[in-house]
Amino acid sequence: MNVTKKILFVDDDRDFLKSQSLYFSKRGYLVLTAANGEEALRLLEKETPDIVILDLMIEHFDSGFRLSHQIRSLERFSNIPLIMLSGVASATGHRFDQELEGLKQWSKLDAFLDKPVTAKELLKVIEEKTVVVRNGH
Amino acid sequence: MKTHRILVVDDEYGIRTGVRQILEMEGFSVEEAETGKDAILLLDRTAFDVILIDYRLPDIDGLTLLQAIRARKLDVMTCMITAYANIETAIAATRQGIDFFLPKPFSPNDLIGVVETLLRHKAGREEAEALRLAHEASLLALASEKSQTHSLVESLRDAVLVVNRPGEVVLVNRAMAALLGGEEKNLIRRPAEDVLGAEDFAPIREALKSSASSRTVFDMEIADRLYVAGLSPFHSDQGEALGHILTISDISEIRRLALEKSRFIRTMIHEFRSPLGAIKGILEVILDKSIGENLDSYLPLVERAEIRLDGLVELIGSLLSISRIEMETNRPLPLPVDLVPVVNEVMELHGERARLRDLRCSIEIEPGLQAIIDAEDLRTIITNLVGNAVKYNRDQGALKISAARIGDEARIDVADTGIGIRAQNLPHVFDEFFREKRPDTRDIEGNGLGLAIVKRLAERSAGRIGAASTEGEGTTFSVWLPAGPAPAHSSPLQHQTPR
Repeated sequence: MNVTKKILFVDDDRDFLKSQSLYFSKRGYLVLTAANGEEALRLLEKETPDIVILDLMIEHFDSGFRLSHQIRSLERFSNIPLIMLSGVASATGHRFDQELEGLKQWSKLDAFLDKPVTAKELLKVIEEKTVVVRNGH
Repeated sequence: MKTHRILVVDDEYGIRTGVRQILEMEGFSVEEAETGKDAILLLDRTAFDVILIDYRLPDIDGLTLLQAIRARKLDVMTCMITAYANIETAIAATRQGIDFFLPKPFSPNDLIGVVETLLRHKAGREEAEALRLAHEASLLALASEKSQTHSLVESLRDAVLVVNRPGEVVLVNRAMAALLGGEEKNLIRRPAEDVLGAEDFAPIREALKSSASSRTVFDMEIADRLYVAGLSPFHSDQGEALGHILTISDISEIRRLALEKSRFIRTMIHEFRSPLGAIKGILEVILDKSIGENLDSYLPLVERAEIRLDGLVELIGSLLSISRIEMETNRPLPLPVDLVPVVNEVMELHGERARLRDLRCSIEIEPGLQAIIDAEDLRTIITNLVGNAVKYNRDQGALKISAARIGDEARIDVADTGIGIRAQNLPHVFDEFFREKRPDTRDIEGNGLGLAIVKRLAERSAGRIGAASTEGEGTTFSVWLPAGPAPAHSSPLQHQTPR
């Protein structure tokens, strides 16, 4: 079965979206991009990606969490793999880490990766997560 | 009843035995010494209540013996008995701390009377000493308004409370009274249990009860403020426990600053990692040859990488500026600086970019207007504000710099006709790293530090900054700085056209 997989990238960095699109398109993925939560939710009304890669700080400091919680709340996406990218995950103090743990559970993330992440690393995670989901169905 | 011990020191056998007989009949226990040396030997072995000393001794004189007694700090009453009493001897003996002077010859009744008086004095002295010690132990002297310690502790910013051994509050400074919500004088001498009765102080009450021998530290939160409390036992020089001293410091501000700093660092890291992530992604695409072999097709990406790198370099410059402003304290008072040349210079610098956007630029500055600010700081302020006015303007828009003296201040306005700032974001534009996330700001490079730097620079010269804006119409930033001396023939204020 060689179905084209769809990836949705949500990030406010246009250059990052561009490079990811090019890299993953070459590998046969269909790449959708959104600059913010609103755009992402609008896109999800008509598109059904296989995985969502989202940045933690899209508009506000923690809006990535809110968005992933919102996506998860949609019936169609209750099992979609969600990967959060963040430039601050490992750089913060103990207090924030604790908050982060709670938020991670609340937003039901599948993985949390530190930025900057290489497309190569991301490819590995995407392959892994999309396979797991397919087996689970 | 205790038998009092008397020592008689005299080389005359008759006197010694006479004194012994008289005093023993009165129920005293009496020892004799013929010489000063014998007396000292006895004194080192036995405690006496009264010593009767003959002034003339075969080996040392009475004064020397008296000295030896004082040197030993013996708790003993002394009486000089001598037939050669003269005024000089009396004065010298008094200097040595003699308690009584009994001239020879004396009657048995004289002797008994003197010994009894001396014993009464001794009892009185002991009682007074006991009282003094008790007083010291209760530390009540601390509470006295006159004590130097009191005024010293009173002026401390930290809250201080001293509890004596019986558990009474003996000292409370103003800060502590404020924290406890009472008046200092109403808290003194009350049991610490009551004074620290609030729920928040429960751990302190526990620690007071357990009388731990080392300092205990507690974190407390009272009415949304954070405190750190330290309870230390304290001792007299002899190691005797005297009570506890409690200090409570308000660390809310320190904690707030620490949180602010960590938030700053968190944002700073994000600001570094975003462009790094973008550049890394672009490099990966190139190395991966994601869009084929034709190098030209990668050029737009390379240009973006360069822009992002420039942004990083600028970010480092801004962070250095901020850190420099924070480090530079106690700067000398700057000299007044003329506004016109600084503004002209900055406008020239931005001229090319303003022309590219086809902006109409105008400058309207009161002639001779000066501001008291470091010239470099002023240049940075104007550069940042003009830079923003160019960046966030619309093509064919207007950019106007005006400055006038208003009272003691020079007010500088930098106005643009750009995209404006949303009302709810206006209060945050001077926050570090704050950037409005809007579709029309996405493609404008910036790190959100420029205005934060401007604000700090204005404020460190006793100035201030403000912004007025209408979304979609434009923004005016105003900086007020202390003005230089007014010109001798002060011209009327120039009319300012409303925007």
